[in-house]
Amino acid sequence: MQSEEVAAVGVDLPFAPENLGQYADLGAPRRPSAWRRLLRKRLAMISLTLILLLVMAALFAGYLAPHDPFAIDYDRIDGSPDAAHHYFFGNDSTGRDVLARILYGLRVSLIVALVVEGLNVLLGSCLGIISGYFGGAVDSVISRVADIFFAFPGILLAVLVNALFGDAFNTPPAPLDRLLPAGSGRLALIAASIALVSWPYMARFVRSQVLSLREREFIDSARAVGAGHLAIIWRHVLPNVANLILVWITLDIASVVIYEATLSLLGLGIQPPNPSIGAMINDASAQGVIQTNPFEVLWPSVILGVLVLSFTFLGEGLRDVLDPRSRNV
Amino acid sequence: MAQYVARRLLALIPIILGVTFITFMAAHLAPGDPVEIILGQRHDPAEHIRLVHVLGLDQPWWRQYLTFLWNALHLDFGHSYVLRDESVTSILFRGLPASVTLGVLSISLTVLLGTPLGIFMARRQGSWLDSGTALAMMTLYAIPTFVMIPVLRILDIKLYERGLPFLPVAGWDGPRSAVFPILIYTAGLLGFYSRITRSCVLEALRQDYVRTARAKGVRGSLIVYKHVLRNALLPIVTVLGPLIAFLVTGSFVIEVLFNIPGVAFITVQSIFQKDFPVVQATTVLLAVVVTLVNLLTDLLYSAIDPRVRQG
Repeated sequence: MQSEEVAAVGVDLPFAPENLGQYADLGAPRRPSAWRRLLRKRLAMISLTLILLLVMAALFAGYLAPHDPFAIDYDRIDGSPDAAHHYFFGNDSTGRDVLARILYGLRVSLIVALVVEGLNVLLGSCLGIISGYFGGAVDSVISRVADIFFAFPGILLAVLVNALFGDAFNTPPAPLDRLLPAGSGRLALIAASIALVSWPYMARFVRSQVLSLREREFIDSARAVGAGHLAIIWRHVLPNVANLILVWITLDIASVVIYEATLSLLGLGIQPPNPSIGAMINDASAQGVIQTNPFEVLWPSVILGVLVLSFTFLGEGLRDVLDPRSRNV
Repeated sequence: MAQYVARRLLALIPIILGVTFITFMAAHLAPGDPVEIILGQRHDPAEHIRLVHVLGLDQPWWRQYLTFLWNALHLDFGHSYVLRDESVTSILFRGLPASVTLGVLSISLTVLLGTPLGIFMARRQGSWLDSGTALAMMTLYAIPTFVMIPVLRILDIKLYERGLPFLPVAGWDGPRSAVFPILIYTAGLLGFYSRITRSCVLEALRQDYVRTARAKGVRGSLIVYKHVLRNALLPIVTVLGPLIAFLVTGSFVIEVLFNIPGVAFITVQSIFQKDFPVVQATTVLLAVVVTLVNLLTDLLYSAIDPRVRQG
């Protein structure tokens, strides 16, 4: 009874210590932990397993790839899969091993996703919390700036940034070029430009959560006992939005992976000969290639599709488990 | 209402100023000399100086921005670097018919298919038909367009080998070539739209007037079409903005992979030719269109539902 009331008010987060305490005191049956509830979701667990497999594959690409991703075999241009010579996924239009290039391309997709979400948490959620918590002039300035970025549909701004500045980032400046692997300048630009288009969404989402949180009693009581703004944000606001940010990030990774692939597909992302799954799909989409060797386009498409779908389904599962508002729908 | 419209229109000004400023500064700060792009191989110092003056590149940046803004207000985005004789505006207008045709047809098809599909799912909430369809729709929404395109193409070839008519997988001539692009656009939009419709209908089904109608013994389908649909359509209107934005992003991939000479295709082509006035103009144009569509849906929504205006 009581626990249902708590759930109906809004934010009821399984990890927040004050909520667990409430349940114990009232003698209400304790709800299974979020992790337990997630374990029961079949689709989410299959997705999580697939994600872990793909992440491992990307991490150990050096050991798993049967061939060098840059090695050219002129006898196997657009060759079909040939297990006898360890070309399990076939060869591309320059005779390179498709499997090896997919494994290294996965690395690119995942690194970009990681960096973008890192920037999103730093920039988007911080601005969202500041905006929602303090309100007033700070809020309107941040919201107006976000409005401007919202006006650029989809990845249009990222396309523009990569088109204008891409060439300048092909080679890192003098002291860095020996330390960093080739193509890392371009990788940084891609990640930064995607973060540029996705932070406003994160900020708006976090802001709306914090706005409703600000009115809750435990924030008032923290203020009443003399807690400072930083302490309130750190100890009371952040723990209550952390779960929702996690859900948001999981779902957003799917679109970041698509964005990176789209940029590479348009020729604005990772530059050849460095492998990127988006560019592989574009190269293998030519009419003639599809007829002679459909696997060349099928494999990168399938792997990227699995990656994107897994993050989406895991995100939806996490949302069911962690977001109190979606539970009763 | 008039006051509300005026307030919303005023709020548009800083957004458009911001959009043009970001676009202008990006092009201004970008490395590379536009005059060299125009001159290409034939390098002539005198011509170089003349062009710098003609393009106004010898002015301070803020004056260049003001000129850019003033000209953009008159829909004048200057001349293409590559096709010197053609204005950017006329290049863009060349691309509009294909893009608009594709967009309008796909959105219409989405609404026509997605509304009944959403109602279908909502009326069978919790059944395997509902969850199966919802899963399929989520897959359609999440799967990237450039993954769908090759799979469709391979299917097309396989079906042709079985004796079915071959549908063109590239180019833009005649209705047959539009089948695949429209299918792929619609697939992505449908995955988004049908799920929104489902939740809107579910929300409307929960209202008291539905229970009253049920208690009076009104038939289920009649309730849906007489009471639920009207009220469910309100929130559906608001997804028009995101739909259009989705269309713009999708068009980059679809127009390029299908070789459709639309606005997005022209943009990508201009990027490769470093024809920045065209890129700049498309960015501003698309951003302004999306902002206007968002405003329009908000106004539409508030016209239908007066409670919004108070907020």
